[in-house]
This record gives sequence, C-alpha cells and structure tokens, in this order.
Amino acid sequence: MNSLIAIGAGIAVFGALGAGVGIGIATGKAVEAVARQPEADSKIMKNLILGCALAEATAIYCFVIAIMIIMFFK
Amino acid sequence: MEAVAEHIQEELNVQTVFTIPIGGGLPVAESVVVTWIIMGVLILLAFFLTRGFKTRNISKRQAAVEVVVTKLTGLVGGMLGEEGESYTTYLTTVLLYIGIANIIGIFGFKSPTKDLNVTLALALMSIILVQIAGIRAKGVKGWLKAFTQPIAIVTPFNILDLVTRPLSLCMRLFGNVLGAFVIMKLIEQVLPVFLPAVFSVYFDLFDGLLQAYVFVFLTSLYIKEAVE
Repeated sequence: MNSLIAIGAGIAVFGALGAGVGIGIATGKAVEAVARQPEADSKIMKNLILGCALAEATAIYCFVIAIMIIMFFK
Repeated sequence: MEAVAEHIQEELNVQTVFTIPIGGGLPVAESVVVTWIIMGVLILLAFFLTRGFKTRNISKRQAAVEVVVTKLTGLVGGMLGEEGESYTTYLTTVLLYIGIANIIGIFGFKSPTKDLNVTLALALMSIILVQIAGIRAKGVKGWLKAFTQPIAIVTPFNILDLVTRPLSLCMRLFGNVLGAFVIMKLIEQVLPVFLPAVFSVYFDLFDGLLQAYVFVFLTSLYIKEAVE
C-alpha cells in the first residue's frame, strides 16, 4: 500500500511538466523581446514575472496534491 | 520522516483559540486572531504615521509615507485603469493585508492565508466586487447582457466563470503559501542552519509578496473587464 501511495504522489507531480515547459517558452520569448527592444526591458520583465507566477501555480497544485496524497492516505 | 509529516499535519490544522458564548458557541480560529493582529498593526501604523501632517516643510516621516502610499495606489490604479479607479482603495488594502499575511510566518505567527477559509473568503469578496462593479457600470440589464458577449454560445462558460474564477484565486493563494511552508519545513529537516535563511528569502518574502500582487492583479483584471 505504501509503495502505491508513493507512486501516486509521483504521478501527481507529473503535472509540473506543463509549468516547466510553459515558463521555458515564456522566458525564451521574453529574451527575444528584450533583444528586439531593449528599452522595453522593465515592462517585459514585469509581465514575465507575472506570467511565471501564474504558470507556476499549476506546478504548485501538483505539489499540494502530492503532499496531500502522502499525508492523508496513510 | 514520520515526525516531519506529523509536525506539518499539525501545523495545517487550524486550531480554535477560544469560543464566543453566543447561541451555540462561536468558535474563533487561529487565523482570525492573526488577522486581528494584522488589522491592529495596520490601523496603528495608519494612525500614528499620519499624525501632524503639514502642507509645507514636511517631515521625513511624512515624505516616506507619501511615497509609499503614492506608489501603492499608483500600482493598483494603473492595473485598474481609468474606469475602475474608484476600487483602488479596496484593492490596495487587500494587497497590504495579503502581503503581510503571507510574510507574517517569519515572525512566528501562523500565516492566515494558510487557512483555506481565509483565501476562500478573500476570493468570494473579489468576485462579488467584480459583479457589483459590473452592475454599477452598466446597470442590471447591461450586466446580464454581458454574459452573452461576445456571442450567445459562450453564455454557459461565462456563467461557469463565476465559479471557476474565485476557485482558482482561492486555490492559487492557498497552494502557494502551503507549498512554500512545506518546502521550508523539508529544507529545515535537511540542514537546520544557514540554508533555510537563504531559501526563506525566496519562498517567504518574494513568493509571498508576488502572490499578493498576483491576487490583486487578477481581481483588477476582472474588474476592468466588468466595467468596460
């Protein structure tokens, strides 16, 4: 039973994959934008941090669910 | 590992501090008491920092307070736009409250935003404010009509938004604070000296303030959408 719980928690964290890809794409585009228009740096940075915080939320959900699986199913 | 799990679980439970003997007894949770403390601190700060303000020859204290207030209202007002400017004060208050609530864990209090009920209440207040803003700006007819915009087929999704928006606001804030807390506890297990202090800057300070900003940003985005 214990190993099954661990596997379940591991699968739950798989959702964090999306957040990683999303933040990667966002950062890549931001770097492109800064290279194109260095004067808009601060504006782009603000939007990037905000977007990253929103994308990160999915990874946080996965993490919370994984923790909850471990804690409440034993 | 067992001890850590138990410790975290114990921290997650919101304890009842005392019960107000009205009717069948009104339980007062820990998060409410910490909220009172934050309210007290904010009210006292607002009261004492604004004593004896002048229009000429201003003191350093007044200059500092003015800069902070102008920056904060400018930040929130800029997100709200011209049409939603009247909601600036409320959202700035929410920003201050969530910001302090997220980082109060450093001072040894239990963060109120780690309680799902608190974040749920904040999210419900936000979504009610958004609807009220829509009604105030467009009238009841215009507000109802906005549900069928841009085309009639999206009406169910617009109605569904009423549920999913507060849910995501609430879960995002709760999950981030909880996640940061659990990670910090695990780091403390790995190495109790130095390491937690470094990570605390990111997880407690940066992430806490960022989540407060994100909460206010999303609410102002919804308000902006509602009043347009």
